[in-house]
Amino acid sequence: MAHTGTAVDENRRRWLTWLLSTSVGATIASFVYPIARYVIPPAASEPSESEVELDVKASDIAPGSARIVPFAGRAVLLLKTAAGELKALTATCTHLACTVQYRSERGDIWCACHNGTYDTNGMNVSGPPPRPLTKLEVNVRGDKIVVRRA
Amino acid sequence: MSSAAPSPGTARLAAALSWIGDRIGWEDLSHVAAKKEVPIHRYTVFYYLGGMALFLFSVQVATGILLLLYYRPSATEAFESVQYIMAEVPFGWLVRSIHSWGANLFVGVVVLHMLSVFFLKAYREPREITWISGALLLFLTLGFGFSGYLLPWNTLAFFATRVGTDVPAQIPWIGPLLSRILRGGADVTGATLSRFYGIHVAILPATTTVLLGLHLVMVQKHGMSVPPSIEREGTRGSLRFFPDFLMRDMVGWLAAVGMLAALAAFLPWELGKKADPFSPAPAGIRPEWYFLSMFQALKYLPAKILGIPGELVGVVFFGLVAAVLVTVPLLDRGASKGRSSPWWNRLAVLALVGAAILTVLALLPARGAGPA
Amino acid sequence: MRFVAAAPLLAALAAPLPAQTASTRPAAPVNNCIECHLALDDGRVSPPAKSMKDDVHAKNGFTCVFCHGGDASKDDQALAHDPRKGFRGKPSPREIPELCGKCHADAELMKRYNPGRRVDQLAEYRSSGHGKALAEGDTAVAQCASCHGAHGILPVKDLRSPVASPNVAKTCNHCHGDAKLMGSHKLPSDVYAKYAKSVHFKAREKGDLSAPTCNSCHGNHGAVPPEVGSVANVCGTCHVVFAEQFKLSPHWEAFKDMGLPGCVTCHENHAILKPSDAYLADGPQGRCGSCHEKGSPGAVAAATMLAELTRLDSETRETKAIVRRAAEAGMEVSRVQFELGKADESLVKARADVHLFRVSAVQKTVGDGLAVARKARKDGQKALAELDYRRRGLVVSLGLIALAIAALILKIRDIDRRRASK
Repeated sequence: MAHTGTAVDENRRRWLTWLLSTSVGATIASFVYPIARYVIPPAASEPSESEVELDVKASDIAPGSARIVPFAGRAVLLLKTAAGELKALTATCTHLACTVQYRSERGDIWCACHNGTYDTNGMNVSGPPPRPLTKLEVNVRGDKIVVRRA
Repeated sequence: MSSAAPSPGTARLAAALSWIGDRIGWEDLSHVAAKKEVPIHRYTVFYYLGGMALFLFSVQVATGILLLLYYRPSATEAFESVQYIMAEVPFGWLVRSIHSWGANLFVGVVVLHMLSVFFLKAYREPREITWISGALLLFLTLGFGFSGYLLPWNTLAFFATRVGTDVPAQIPWIGPLLSRILRGGADVTGATLSRFYGIHVAILPATTTVLLGLHLVMVQKHGMSVPPSIEREGTRGSLRFFPDFLMRDMVGWLAAVGMLAALAAFLPWELGKKADPFSPAPAGIRPEWYFLSMFQALKYLPAKILGIPGELVGVVFFGLVAAVLVTVPLLDRGASKGRSSPWWNRLAVLALVGAAILTVLALLPARGAGPA
Repeated sequence: MRFVAAAPLLAALAAPLPAQTASTRPAAPVNNCIECHLALDDGRVSPPAKSMKDDVHAKNGFTCVFCHGGDASKDDQALAHDPRKGFRGKPSPREIPELCGKCHADAELMKRYNPGRRVDQLAEYRSSGHGKALAEGDTAVAQCASCHGAHGILPVKDLRSPVASPNVAKTCNHCHGDAKLMGSHKLPSDVYAKYAKSVHFKAREKGDLSAPTCNSCHGNHGAVPPEVGSVANVCGTCHVVFAEQFKLSPHWEAFKDMGLPGCVTCHENHAILKPSDAYLADGPQGRCGSCHEKGSPGAVAAATMLAELTRLDSETRETKAIVRRAAEAGMEVSRVQFELGKADESLVKARADVHLFRVSAVQKTVGDGLAVARKARKDGQKALAELDYRRRGLVVSLGLIALAIAALILKIRDIDRRRASK
């Protein structure tokens, strides 16, 4: 029974309506915010399985040297020939999956586990490795290096 | 309703709305809507289930559309794109987990809605078409669940799909062709993924829109059904749908959203490992919970029953059950005449108990091999 | 006897006679030997003739007379087996190496058939255990025909050949698995059984033919067990890093002085199993205890190295579990997993460094690996913490939702109350 009078009643109504609209509005905003963030594309625009822009810059690698970089969770050998050409090969030895290394004094790629050797094209030239290393596609945009599956 | 003078802002809003309303003509619609009523009685709480199912469906559509912005339906990229959504996209984990948990919640609510309609005999004349469209919507819902399950292309989904698409192959004559059409080939491959994707985002939504539209129009046309026992007793009055029942609906909807968000944060949906078709099937492969009773039943059938392959008998049995489910109002003529249908109720309870037992059995860890 | 010079001569002699062999090629040399021996159908003289069909020498025009002498054009036995035509019958085992060497040690001849072929097999054989024993009159040893066969000799690359790489071990085992024969030579006869347990045998079964079989370590024709000082060189042709480390270690000279066979001392020669860190331990698999007494500096060093390896191994394992948990929850941890791979590499390198038998070397490598594993662990835990952050964000949303629900319920109650009082 509204025995306190319609003014108090009216205030209560107004307050409840305000509470309702504010809380529902805030709840809806708490849905809209994540959706808005979701729709804006993140910095890493491609899933890292197919194309990766490397952290290392093209100018960081000296000619005749190499580096192991991650690509799709696996190791990749990024090497710069004496002529300055960038090559990317999978760094997992095809014999028993050890990580290979570049030997700049011999200009070849060597696996320390069982003495397997590859040339700079990934071809298995001596020792146990049964298959060549897989070549990956390297593109240079300015100073950025982008590695992709061939 | 308000006895105080409206504020200038409200007055401007009202003027704008009436300008649009004059042109669209929603005045008539709002008159009809204002008349919509919900009877109040002992079983009124079950009326919420239909609206809840509709709300959860909207949640699935909304989160599904958001997922579509990043998902890639190819065998080489599907898993990675879901991982990308989970790990890189802001709140991607939330959208994806809500969609996966929401699917399960949705199926559960749809089943409860159907059961409440069944036991409250809301399928009596003149609501037969509402029931039939509803039963078909149930099958579409299960189809959504089955097709969506494969899309992340992880080990569990891949092998569960392989097992699941083996079942229709049992049907004589058209079975192998049906399985081939489902799979897009002889085995589950990237072609299956493309197909299931098309089914999940286009074919099923389109069909659902049509059937759901029919279902809802029928509900508006015939209003809320009152169970026979209440018809005899009389109701305790009625509630206006707008705004009273709707506000109560919204309490439920908000609670559902809260539950889904909590599930997403505390029990995030697993990503698993990328499917490798050449590796052996992991032990304990099974489909989602709503298929478990059928899956388990098929396991118990002997290889041959009276010379017919056991699995075929199982598939035919399920087909019969589905047919009966769709045509319940046509089969239970007595209900329309106000007679109680105890045998139907008993049959339904028996089926439910059986399904529950089978589901529990399917969830038990695999026992050791029986006597060799 | 210059069979080589005789070849064109015999071919010229054979030309006017009609070819009676199964082959209808007009230039084939006449070979009554085969015909007659086949026709005799005798258990002793027919089988050699039968197997000449696939024989590599026969296919290159070298027929029976090249090794046995005689006259292939005659079909009368006395004339065909004429000693004046060089007939010598079945060569004795002692004669065989020189007989084969007549051609196979002649560079000028061999390069006409295959310029890349080696011609030092005879010289090698003379340096082998078999060759030396044969020279002293022991005929119960292998000579050319024992492994290559005498008739029906197949090229080495032919997989049916007893000396094709996949078949070498079984061929050696014909004699080296014969207990009586080996017993009379004071050699063990269980070598093949031991080898079959080894990682090298198992690798070959899986198809990796780069793993060694008998001839890889013992040599082909110069077959002899590697000497004590040579074992490390032999193993080192594949296991380069381990051999280099071993040669820098105190064990290198010490083992040579004690007559211990290098790598084989700890790793066995034939039953080479997958090594484990337990080789450094006190238990049944421990290798160090046979020389280093408990409590001695050597034993202490072994225990220290084992402790280091175990530390790195368990740290890496635990970190992998954390990262895997994060990955399965959908967190992006591929970078962390990549870095963790470096910890695995450190462990492999540390195990190689054990062969320096110097604790400081192992400690350094393990230290590098531990640094990597610890950083990866931090990163993995950060990924898992992200999950926690979400839960905290959730509390805020749930609070708002609870507020909205409360507001709704209050409003509903208010409307109902209003309607009831009207």
